Amino acid sequence: MDILSSGLLQRALLEVVILGATCGALGVWLLQLHHTYAAESLAHAMLPGLVIAALLGAPLLLGAAGGVLVAAALIALAARDTRVGAEVAVGVTVTTAFGLGAVLALAPDVPARLGELLFGDLLGTSTADLVAACVLGACVGLALCAGHRPLAAAVFDPLAAPSLGVRPARVELALLALLAIAVVAAVQGLGNLLVLALIVAPAAAAIRLGQTVGRQIALAAALGALAGLLGLVASAELDIAAGASVALAAIALWVIAALLAPKPARAAGAPRSLVETLGG
Amino acid sequence: MSSPAAPPAPAAAASGVRVQGLSASYGAAAIALRDVTFAAAGGQAVAVLGPNGGGKTTLFRVLLGELPAATGSAAVRGTIAYVPQTERSRLDFPVSALDVTLMGAYARTPWYRRVAARDRALGRAALDRVGLADSSGTRFGALSGGQRQRVLIARALVQDAGVLLLDEPFAGVDRTSEEAILSILDELRAEGRVLLIATHDVEQARRWDRVLCLAGTQIAYGPPADTLTNAVLEGTYGAEIVMLDCGHRAVAIQHHSHSH
Amino acid sequence: MRTVFDKLAVVRWLTDPLAIPFMQRALLATLLLAVAAGLLGTWVVLRRLAFFAHAAGTATFPGLVVAGPLGIAAPLAALGAGLGFAGLLSRMTRRGATSADAATGLLLTAALALGAILASDVYRSGAGVDRLLFGTLLGLGDGDIALAVAAAAAALLATAALGRTWLATGFDPAGAPALGVRAAHGDRLLLGLLALTVVAVLPAVGALLVSTLLVVPAATARLLTGSLGALLAAAVAIAAAEGVGGLLLAYHLDLPPGPAIAVIGGGVFAIVALGGVVRTAR
Repeated sequence: MDILSSGLLQRALLEVVILGATCGALGVWLLQLHHTYAAESLAHAMLPGLVIAALLGAPLLLGAAGGVLVAAALIALAARDTRVGAEVAVGVTVTTAFGLGAVLALAPDVPARLGELLFGDLLGTSTADLVAACVLGACVGLALCAGHRPLAAAVFDPLAAPSLGVRPARVELALLALLAIAVVAAVQGLGNLLVLALIVAPAAAAIRLGQTVGRQIALAAALGALAGLLGLVASAELDIAAGASVALAAIALWVIAALLAPKPARAAGAPRSLVETLGG
Repeated sequence: MSSPAAPPAPAAAASGVRVQGLSASYGAAAIALRDVTFAAAGGQAVAVLGPNGGGKTTLFRVLLGELPAATGSAAVRGTIAYVPQTERSRLDFPVSALDVTLMGAYARTPWYRRVAARDRALGRAALDRVGLADSSGTRFGALSGGQRQRVLIARALVQDAGVLLLDEPFAGVDRTSEEAILSILDELRAEGRVLLIATHDVEQARRWDRVLCLAGTQIAYGPPADTLTNAVLEGTYGAEIVMLDCGHRAVAIQHHSHSH
Repeated sequence: MRTVFDKLAVVRWLTDPLAIPFMQRALLATLLLAVAAGLLGTWVVLRRLAFFAHAAGTATFPGLVVAGPLGIAAPLAALGAGLGFAGLLSRMTRRGATSADAATGLLLTAALALGAILASDVYRSGAGVDRLLFGTLLGLGDGDIALAVAAAAAALLATAALGRTWLATGFDPAGAPALGVRAAHGDRLLLGLLALTVVAVLPAVGALLVSTLLVVPAATARLLTGSLGALLAAAVAIAAAEGVGGLLLAYHLDLPPGPAIAVIGGGVFAIVALGGVVRTAR
């Protein structure tokens, strides 16, 4: 296949497959704990870090890490608000951080690489980026393996977990730290707007298709890697943006999974309006 | 605590609940309630006893007209009001105790009008009746659990309904509020209204005129003395009954389910 | 002497832009949008629809991209995309098939990815994408002003007519129907009005930052007051102040208005929030 002949595409392919597998596996736990908003908030709010790194000519990874740390701290602070509620407070924080990033990026006399920061630069993956993705991906993967039992206890039986020596709050914090690492790794290739696709779509598909959480994780990793491959091939063949293609490939896989395995309707509970469902 | 400004009581014959062979379900899935038959007239208080998921809320929904009966019938004579548990309300909402109480008048206020002055007076009288006249301007979320429950009862008073459905009105309520609520419920019963009180408390259920035991289906209905036998309680709660006092007192063990 | 000059400079900073026609239109639009977004934003904050509002705004991105090339009016295309998003979300979350947060995440990224491909490879929109994502001072035409008027009028009417319903429904969803409150009906209208308001603010702040007008001012107002009437008024006032401030900042720094308003709004929120913390700590 042509795609393997170019070094550029080889690196991109390797990176996106690793990222897909990592984010897919991680995504299963995040979805089980209903932390999608946290993932999206973190990814959006880290923009200033990326822009500052780009302006200073520093490695994007550093900017991503810094941006994610500050974003996580601010979001954690905001989530404790009792007056307006966590959802609104986090929304305000994310909007402001994102706006700040845009201000820094769009102020004139500044090289505007905002598009790449937002939507990724998968085909611009350097060897250093690839190495970083491998290392970070491996860290996340190992952590997920080692932490499998505590995670399962925290998710499926939070009341009994302490008696098993597991503190659900600590486990959730660790999971969010892994999310931060995965986002830092993926932001170069997909941009901070699209990383969510690899975190949510393969995992959502796997949860529908897999019966046990172990199988769901394996399936999500496979689907994530597949999305990366399909997306990159489509991008090369159709000459369209690579990061966006990977995102759409992941979502397409979810659509197929949803059509193949429709969930049965919930047994009990009255039907709720969309506003009630969203507002909680 | 009866105030002279209380609205005239509906005649005993005007209010009633009659349920005949009722079954109900949510969608095509499992049937939530099967074969319920009972009748309650004005001036009667019925304790609705049963475990979580046993159908108490489903019965209330059918009586309120929110859920259609799959088979059988449920007829309510008179207007109907619902007093939910305060845990279900948003405690951070910018509403005062009086604001919540006046929600009882919404049904008779057209959308283009403000709440009528007469209804405002009714609201204040209702709050006075539940012993919260001084707290009418306090934010609802700033009140104690028992006080909030009393406000929700005041809301039902403003609705001036002949039939009241109360969902565990004593859950997590302090002593003062519990006494106030009991006093109010006795008054409402004396005024000729019908009260259906969902409860977990077997001892509390003995206090009322009738007991309806629900566990997905009707286990028993009748006066507490005759109905609350060990057999009935075991049928209602399965193996979750603990007998105390050499079998004279029964306590139901509640499991809280956490859905993901 | 110097202080007089400084004062004059500040005054000129404020008044110079307002002499320019396109800025006058932008100012008018902003004030109208402040009414719509402040009022609807109060309900967004109370009913916990902040994330949904942001997602709905973002979801209009592909619609905005295709509007110009296909010759459709931008608000129409945006409305179509936004309603499609809400419809799909409703379908996906029906009876718990997919959780709300996962469904929103899926649809949001799908919209962004689709918009990105359409913009970069199909229609080659180039720098015009910034305008769609972050708003513009220049492009506000009579159509946008008319839409802002409509949104403001609709928000005022709806709050007067449906405010009670929305309040009762949000306060106690289980008990609302028993009060004779037409909860489902009211919520449908709320979503419809939210869609209209989102589409109205798009030209000014862009698809990615609708929250700057719809959520942030109302959230700040909520920190300041506990009564509904004061909340609604304060949200409108804060939205107007921040909108105009952001507009002037955008003009002087040559930025799109969305990010400028975002930074001001966030700063004000932080100050008010910290002030509250300090007050309760004492």
